[in-house]
Amino acid sequence: MTSFTRISAMTRKEFIHLLRDRRTLAVVLVMPVLQMLLFAYAISFDVKNVSTVIIDTDQTPASQAYVRSYASSDFFRLVGTANDLGAVDRVFDHNQARIAVVVPSGFGRQLAAGERATVAVYLDGSEPTAARVGQAFSTALNQVYGQRVTIEWADAQGLDVTAAGQLEPRVRTWYNPEKRSSDFLIPGLMVVIIMVVALQQTAVSLVREREQGTDEQLAISPMKRWEMMVGKVAPWTLLAFLDLAVITAVGIWFFDLPLRGSVTVLMLGAALFVFCALGLGLVISAVAPSLETANMLGLLLSLLPAFILSGFAFPLGSIPEWLQVISCAFPARFMVTISRGVFLKGAGFDELWPQLAALGAYAVVVLTIAVLLDGRRRR
Amino acid sequence: MTINDLAGTPPNPEAAISVRGLVKRFGTFTAVDGIDFDVPRGQIFGFLGPNGSGKTTTIRMLTGTSGPNAGQALVLGEDVINHPERVKQRFGYMSQKFALFEDMTVEENLRFYAGVYDLSAEQFAKQRAYVLDMADLRGRENELTANLSVGWRQRLALGTATIHEPELLFLDEPTGGVDPVARRQFWDLLYDLASRGVTLFVTTHYMDEASHCNQLAFIYRGRLIAEGVPHDIRRDLIAEQVLEVSVRDVDGALAWLEQAPGVEEAYLSGARLHAVIEPGASGDVVGDYTARLRTAGFADASLVAVEPTLEDVFVNLVARAQES
Repeated sequence: MTSFTRISAMTRKEFIHLLRDRRTLAVVLVMPVLQMLLFAYAISFDVKNVSTVIIDTDQTPASQAYVRSYASSDFFRLVGTANDLGAVDRVFDHNQARIAVVVPSGFGRQLAAGERATVAVYLDGSEPTAARVGQAFSTALNQVYGQRVTIEWADAQGLDVTAAGQLEPRVRTWYNPEKRSSDFLIPGLMVVIIMVVALQQTAVSLVREREQGTDEQLAISPMKRWEMMVGKVAPWTLLAFLDLAVITAVGIWFFDLPLRGSVTVLMLGAALFVFCALGLGLVISAVAPSLETANMLGLLLSLLPAFILSGFAFPLGSIPEWLQVISCAFPARFMVTISRGVFLKGAGFDELWPQLAALGAYAVVVLTIAVLLDGRRRR
Repeated sequence: MTINDLAGTPPNPEAAISVRGLVKRFGTFTAVDGIDFDVPRGQIFGFLGPNGSGKTTTIRMLTGTSGPNAGQALVLGEDVINHPERVKQRFGYMSQKFALFEDMTVEENLRFYAGVYDLSAEQFAKQRAYVLDMADLRGRENELTANLSVGWRQRLALGTATIHEPELLFLDEPTGGVDPVARRQFWDLLYDLASRGVTLFVTTHYMDEASHCNQLAFIYRGRLIAEGVPHDIRRDLIAEQVLEVSVRDVDGALAWLEQAPGVEEAYLSGARLHAVIEPGASGDVVGDYTARLRTAGFADASLVAVEPTLEDVFVNLVARAQES
């Protein structure tokens, strides 16, 4: 019972700190949403609905069919049609479109004659990403379209299409068929954010207590070390789970993130992962001589490995082998696998138990190291 | 030397603190080198020494946060080295850092420490009222600790350190960085605690504060070099005469006194100089040295014989310890 009183005194105190420190609170609560918007929209790797203007000077059934292929694509959004080239400057200047496709007169005739038809595509270079991707897609579209025309033409002539080598390669992406980067990013981003919140705050808050002398005061009190730790990390565990819920909710409602697998496994994984991150935070706080060092170490050990060595930004298979070995020293890689597995692949305990076990073992080891380092420090 | 002869005797469970042969080493450095002392209950015990002499290390061992390499320590009759948890509820601790949460209010700080010591609601109400009156913080319960002046913070820190009504209170340089008026007020509070039967173990390097204590122990380089009642220490240890020198060119006069024959020690004491004259000097010592100083070119020098202060004692003790 006395343990409970002491732990709750500690937890209440931590919440007071948190409520007084509006900046940290805002960072912890708003950061996930901001980062999601940033990653899922601004740094999105997919370009959709690029505003496009079509100038069809041919006006034949063939040119109209070609124009329709743009309209039916998700990547282009037809904002209008025009009849003269001068319209290009106009729409670019008024930011009405990023791409202008000009179908020259004679397009239908050339296709019918089996000749190579040319289409001019104008790109607004002032927005490089959209322009570059737009370029790639319109080229691809042209190729597919051109090929189809060629195929139809060849077929009509009675030639063996396969023999002519006109096979169209089909690439299928599983789990994320549209290759939406948000589907891929959000489960990983969740891991990064939980890592930063749990690790950073634990590392910093213990060092702060040491600097202001309250750590020493508590050390001579009847409060036991584990009671202090539990009381101190409880609010951060709660916040980490709050962030998890916010990210999941925003992901599902705003980004159509599928949640296909076991929520229980996700929660279990998240809980173990939070303990791992808290343990790392405690290790930092035990070795960091000052608040600045704790901050730097916290950032270094939470952000970098979670970004680079977790499979979040780069697939683990594509990084050098020695880095893959190092990545096992950070819990994020296991959690990214769990998170993506549950969200995208519909995985459950049967598929993810190795990662769960790894996180569990990691938590035990890192918390033991933290307690040992902490104990050594107090000698 | 008035060093106690406790070494080798069993520790005294009746004393508030009883220490025998306590040793603490950090690598090859010996911070505390086999000290023995008893602190009777209800006393204000002054533990004096320069920075780095082993005061804080001793307190750490006595509060169970640092294990000694050798020796025994009983605190309130309990073996604090092996079973600190048995006695932690019964002593308190206040350091120079005050250990307050500055982003929390007075009330929140009190409530937090009440939770740490698991006080009942009635105990807390009673102690809260006592601390608020004692620290003169009525009406400021909801003020952030960061906004309080140093004197108030210091009194609040004393209040939080005694919220559980300890029988023994360790104070590690409790008045560091506090102005003399606040220091005076603070010592009044300590007297008040002592009058209620609380034993106080105070470290300080302020000599004027040492005079407030019932008993003193001097620690230097990890060893006790003197122990006793302030008055006795002053009388016993200074058989020599101490002259106080007022002069405009303090640095020059200090340099001259340090090499002058017959002067054992010379050092700054506030804005003036103190010179300890070797024993055996007879006649008009004040007149002699006044004349010699004036001849040496310090025309404005005026000298007066003074009662040795604890600072004089301390400088003297350290000088002797260094010689031996």
